[in-house]
Amino acid sequence: MAAAEKYAKVDRDVLAAMKRPGRAYLAGLAFAVLLAVMFHLLWAYQVRSGLGVVGKMHPVMWALYITNFVFWVGIAHSGTLISAVLFLFRARYRTSFNRAAEAMTVFALMVAGMFPLIHLGRSWVFYYLLPYPNQRQLWVNFRSPLVWDVFAVGTYFTVSLVFFYVGMIPDFAAAKQHVLGVRKKIYTVLSLGWQGTQKEWRHYNMLYLFLAAFATPLVASVHSVVSWDFAMSIVPGWHTTIFAPYFVAGAIFSGTAMVITLVVPMRKYLSLHEYITDDHFESIAKILLFTSLIVSYAYIVEFGLAWYGENIFERETFRYRLLGDYRYFTWTMLFCNSVVPLTLFARRLRRNTAYLFAISILVNVGMWLERFVIIVTSLSHDYDPYAWGIYKPTFVCLGVDIGSFGLFFALYLLFVKNLPVLSISEIKEHL
Amino acid sequence: MADRMVFEDREQFLEGLRELVRDGVPRERIRVITPFGVPEVEEILPGTRSRVRFFALIGAAGGTVTGLAFTILTALSWPLVIGGKPIVSLPPFIIIAFALTILFGALATFAGFLLLSRLPSLQGIRSEEEHGNAFVILVEDGERR
Amino acid sequence: MKAFLEKKGVLAALIAAAGALLAIVSLEHGPGKGGSLLLSLLFFIAVVEGCIAAAAAGTVVNARWVASVREELLSVSPLLLLSSFLLLLLIPFLDIYPWAGTPGIWLRKDFFIGRNLVFLLLAYDTARRFAAAPAGGEGTKVRAAWYLLVFVVSQSLTAFDLVMSLEYPWVSALFGGYFFIEALYGGFAVSALLYLLLHGRPAAGNAPGTRSDLSDLSILMFGFSIMWAGLFFAQYLTIWYGNIPEEVGFIARRVAASPLRELSVAVLFLLFFIPFPALLATRAKSNPYVVSAAALSILTGILIERYVFLAPVVRFSPGALMIDFACLLLLFVAVMYRRSRGAAREA
Repeated sequence: MAAAEKYAKVDRDVLAAMKRPGRAYLAGLAFAVLLAVMFHLLWAYQVRSGLGVVGKMHPVMWALYITNFVFWVGIAHSGTLISAVLFLFRARYRTSFNRAAEAMTVFALMVAGMFPLIHLGRSWVFYYLLPYPNQRQLWVNFRSPLVWDVFAVGTYFTVSLVFFYVGMIPDFAAAKQHVLGVRKKIYTVLSLGWQGTQKEWRHYNMLYLFLAAFATPLVASVHSVVSWDFAMSIVPGWHTTIFAPYFVAGAIFSGTAMVITLVVPMRKYLSLHEYITDDHFESIAKILLFTSLIVSYAYIVEFGLAWYGENIFERETFRYRLLGDYRYFTWTMLFCNSVVPLTLFARRLRRNTAYLFAISILVNVGMWLERFVIIVTSLSHDYDPYAWGIYKPTFVCLGVDIGSFGLFFALYLLFVKNLPVLSISEIKEHL
Repeated sequence: MADRMVFEDREQFLEGLRELVRDGVPRERIRVITPFGVPEVEEILPGTRSRVRFFALIGAAGGTVTGLAFTILTALSWPLVIGGKPIVSLPPFIIIAFALTILFGALATFAGFLLLSRLPSLQGIRSEEEHGNAFVILVEDGERR
Repeated sequence: MKAFLEKKGVLAALIAAAGALLAIVSLEHGPGKGGSLLLSLLFFIAVVEGCIAAAAAGTVVNARWVASVREELLSVSPLLLLSSFLLLLLIPFLDIYPWAGTPGIWLRKDFFIGRNLVFLLLAYDTARRFAAAPAGGEGTKVRAAWYLLVFVVSQSLTAFDLVMSLEYPWVSALFGGYFFIEALYGGFAVSALLYLLLHGRPAAGNAPGTRSDLSDLSILMFGFSIMWAGLFFAQYLTIWYGNIPEEVGFIARRVAASPLRELSVAVLFLLFFIPFPALLATRAKSNPYVVSAAALSILTGILIERYVFLAPVVRFSPGALMIDFACLLLLFVAVMYRRSRGAAREA
């Protein structure tokens, strides 16, 4: 096929995804939007009635909302790994995933950012956390990991958004010729008048390189900071030095699983088999396997060292995790995170997208449960037996939890139909 | 009276460009428009390395300084003893400085890119010209417009 | 010299001689022999295992630079056998460990030596199999992966058993990970030095935009310097913030007074504050002087750090330390030199 035809085909294939939505899409979007509406309604109910309807009681004052916060921030990391880190490693297979992954990052961070607000209870006084001169001799406590979170996640969201947008500037310019009406005007404005001159490409390439170089340390540092929300305390099961790399590996693990969950159906319904091949999925599956091994290593070290030392509280916390009230959650978590991904050592399974899709769902469940287990079991069973208690989630927080998935998928579905899902210029470059 | 050559194929485009340079056309008058970044163009028409990297460096350095200065100076102004940590405790302040280094670095780099590429360009937005996937070489005439 | 080393049996004889010398020095009466042996062992096991791990990691991800230094890196695998023997020499000195008097299930002399020995031998075996496999072969990646798994366990055990239990009951869950990342870091430093010794400066005729193998290795060193700093900070921050007496003692003993305080700061500089800015600029990454300085800084930093870990608890005999260290270093160099393809290659 002549070069010009090949390029035109890329344009056609990617933009075909943005044609009029079919019924299946609309049904999916409607369902997701319904869940998102439920999310907001339940939050409104909570605002009206108070935080008690969530079931948070002494001693478990951090429960499902923080679980979701950590879960969604973790999901975001894999997107940056694929788009920024793999770019620095010059991994070719990244071009078929990176736009979808970057979008996933931005949307996951948007959803994650809501949870600290919901968790506050009195969400309207969130501004107490911001540094502003006041008459009460108050100032933000920079020594608190919760404030580090504000800076880390805020930075991560801003940089990811910029990276996502910058990647699309040439694609908007390419796409604007093929669309009509309002969409054409929007793409033209968003493309900033990009023409593709040598000067523009020269500056663009350096910008992209630097953004990738800046985003890369964020992959490790942001989830380390989130893990320090727990590690900086002295709660047994939380205060451990391994949390930073353990959480980062876990974040990439769950994020990669979410990429698979999103891209397998996307490839099927948008017929992108030529661009997203089984080879690409095999590479992503290898990342999944590798991070699963790191997470398993962390489990072994944590359980082992709890039993090793003379810290009876640590030992009791881990005994409680494995054999206490929440043991079914712990066993499911261990099965989904450590045992199931071992099957990916088999090459045939790595290339089977249906199997990968199934595993990715299990991994997401397992990783959500991991955060739940870490947070809730440690809090419900710490130093003082008088203070032990159980947390039972209510319909409000479960509903908000499920609704957050609806919000995320709604945003993602809207992205699929309105923005180019593959990085057009990068694919053409490697043709 | 600008000269314009349009190529559909990348190799032919590069050949045409090399020919132009061989014929002695001064490099400042050659403008190239491509649908994606072509590294060979940098070899044929070499230019100075993009100055965007200075924006990155200055932004990042500014972020580190701001992060440390902001946290340290405000902590000294409102010396609240919380958690038994020293008023000026460097480990937490380093984390905040690190985050701001990356934030300011990224934003400065983006601003530098926009500045140096003269984007957003109203002329580009309003222009009706569509090059599609073609590789275009424009040779401008002698007078500066 | 090379021809002599390549003669059959000379290498084995040298290794045996080194083992014998170290045995004599260590078993001789006098304080501090065990500490010296332990420090030398810690450094060399890390560097040797790290070199092989660097080659294995590069093989698994199809890195381009591996081909230039693979043979030399893998030539050190016989030293793992020597290390296993040297580990046995530690048996008379196990009383330096605080748990020696009250053994439990995990911390008891026989199991302690036994499990470390088993994993050192396994590391030797998997390394040998990996080295024997052809460079681009079918099963090579699998063998590399097996070695890496054993490497992770072996280094983790070294960290938790040989070093962390010196301060029993102090616990740091990150210690194992910290050690194997440091070993890999050291492995890349040695790879860079090897590359420079074997291949000299990368060809100036490289087309712009392509990266030479040397700059690939520099990028790895640069990235690992950041990773090391991150792990160091994670451990330090958690201990500093929690401020629990059981944990803080470990750090307090190492930063309270000279000379350990200055040595600890030196470690920070050698492992991060020197390599990071040095390797930041793109041009510096291909500059042989900068790269070799950074690599040497890294290796020195690892050595000093191991010293700082051991110093408050263990006594050293300076003479024995020098002999142990010099002996192992010379052996390491000799083994690599024997396998090297010689300097002054054409670009």
